[in-house]
Amino acid sequence: MATREAGKKMIMLKSPDGMEFEVEEAVAMESQTIRKMIEDDCADTAILIPNINSKILSRVIEYCNKHVPTTGATGAAASDTVAPAALAEDLKIWDAEFIKVNRATRFNLIQAASYLNIKGLLDLTSQTTIDTISDNSLEEIRSFLSTKNDYLPEEEQTIRRENQWAFQ
Amino acid sequence: MEACSLARTIGLWSLPTHPRMFLSQVFRVLLKLLGLPPSLLKKFLKHEHIHPPHMESEVGGLPELPHELLVDIFALLDIPDLKRASSVCSSWRSVYTSLCSLGLYKRPQTPCLFYTSESAGESVAFLYSLAEKRSYKLTLPEPPIRSRHLIGSTNGWLVTADERSEMHLLNPITCQQIALPLVITIEHVTPIFDEAGALCEYHYSRHTYGPYGLCTADRPSILALDELRSYLYVKAFVFYDASAGGHIVVLIHNPFGQLSFARLGDDKWTWLPQHSFFHDCIYKDGLLYAVTAQGKILAFNLRGPVVTTELIMDIAKDILDENIYIVQAPCGGLLQVWRTQEASQYVEDAGPAIDLTNTRDIKIFKVETTAEKLVGIDSLDDHVLLLGHNQTLCLSVEEYPHLKANHAYFTDDCELYLFGWKNNRRDIGICDLANNTCEELVSPQPWSNWPNPIWITPSLTRL
Repeated sequence: MATREAGKKMIMLKSPDGMEFEVEEAVAMESQTIRKMIEDDCADTAILIPNINSKILSRVIEYCNKHVPTTGATGAAASDTVAPAALAEDLKIWDAEFIKVNRATRFNLIQAASYLNIKGLLDLTSQTTIDTISDNSLEEIRSFLSTKNDYLPEEEQTIRRENQWAFQ
Repeated sequence: MEACSLARTIGLWSLPTHPRMFLSQVFRVLLKLLGLPPSLLKKFLKHEHIHPPHMESEVGGLPELPHELLVDIFALLDIPDLKRASSVCSSWRSVYTSLCSLGLYKRPQTPCLFYTSESAGESVAFLYSLAEKRSYKLTLPEPPIRSRHLIGSTNGWLVTADERSEMHLLNPITCQQIALPLVITIEHVTPIFDEAGALCEYHYSRHTYGPYGLCTADRPSILALDELRSYLYVKAFVFYDASAGGHIVVLIHNPFGQLSFARLGDDKWTWLPQHSFFHDCIYKDGLLYAVTAQGKILAFNLRGPVVTTELIMDIAKDILDENIYIVQAPCGGLLQVWRTQEASQYVEDAGPAIDLTNTRDIKIFKVETTAEKLVGIDSLDDHVLLLGHNQTLCLSVEEYPHLKANHAYFTDDCELYLFGWKNNRRDIGICDLANNTCEELVSPQPWSNWPNPIWITPSLTRL
């Protein structure tokens, strides 16, 4: 249900495990998926986010709260006293802390960011996976991402030979 | 950081589809937590009715990312990282395959120098990455790359000519290779068969069809199978135009640097007579633009049943001693680039230390098509040129930050070496366009002088 509180329009988000989160409309609209629902007037009652559990949803909301443009958001840094560059730097540090989560949470966040269409969060979460692939050996990648090597030995040999140059 | 509950994670996310795999993952984690050896895993999995105990702990790693999301993430990887990722497991390999076959991999690739080295073997080539300043070693399909001539490079595809003078397209990253129409389907070449009916030599005619009708420069010659390629091929390109039938290979060939083209899947080459002395081509807005040794630019429309030709700019100069390139300007128009090489030695096969030619001067002109004139420009500002046997490129350093602004990266494309100077040092380097001073690309040079190294922009496109 959309309510009004201190002049700001509020939106109710509901996770499938029954938790409800009341967030400012501007914060919720960081998600392009939710923005579309609101714009299409489909957000009169609580919006059920079908596949994001409360733990992940609360983290997504935390991210959106931090990233919502400062105008109109309560508690956000006053943009007229802080230089934009310093704000961006502050946000970068905050992001780096935010993404220090375990693998499962990160994967869940990627899926949530994709479903809710939050570009900044998708970029942030994807980048950490990319860094893992870029900086580590195959065995390390497999263990970090809990991906199983399901190649037959001879199959793996062929693929290794084909891609050998990329391992130099 | 909040702990993510195993139970909730299991409950809410799509899990690995294979239950056995899922169980094995759960147990692997549990064994690890309990400090037990992994060999116990097999033992546990033998029991059919085993249920994982409910346990709240921060183990993670259990959900898998859906295919579509992995495609999005993989699209951000560099090619070597992407190749490594495709080796992780079969589902990741299928992500890689989707990315290539659907043409979703669009990350701009900094050009590399494609070269071979005598000591590395006949089928081995290297990519020297201008971004990473290191080389990657590739093993390529038959025929051996060191036995071929490299006559073109466009969008990650090399055009090569083998020891029978037959042409192939080769993508050295994916190793996909496509045979082009037989050389005997080119206007100037006819086969000569021996008594047993096998192809043994080529008959090469030096004629063209100019404004005054058919003219022949010389008597036709008879050339050995591997000899023809040295005389015939000048430079080749692969362009794409959906409205003109897909991929088109354009070939500048002798006599007189004429043009022929073939669509991928054609069984013969189509000759474009009437014009000659072409040096370079680009494809832009549905037209093939070709520039001649005298700076004349023609545009060919290959879309209709009959090829139409339009003169874009007439002869700009008389003398023929520069190498001329044509490239799309940063602002969208056309640029002409004139590269002067000075010949320093004419000692046949004098040895690898001797330069045959040296780039002395690079001039850049903007093509004013309406006024039909060339206007010299002093600086490319934040752009760079890549010159040589490749399709000429003009790139922005904003998009390719590893390249030096207002510089030209050049490789040798002097035709002289085709007739005997194969062992001489190649003219490869980086030229500062502000003052026309050249520096070495890498020292000591890792490449063999033959086949001539060539710029390539790595690509995963399949044809």
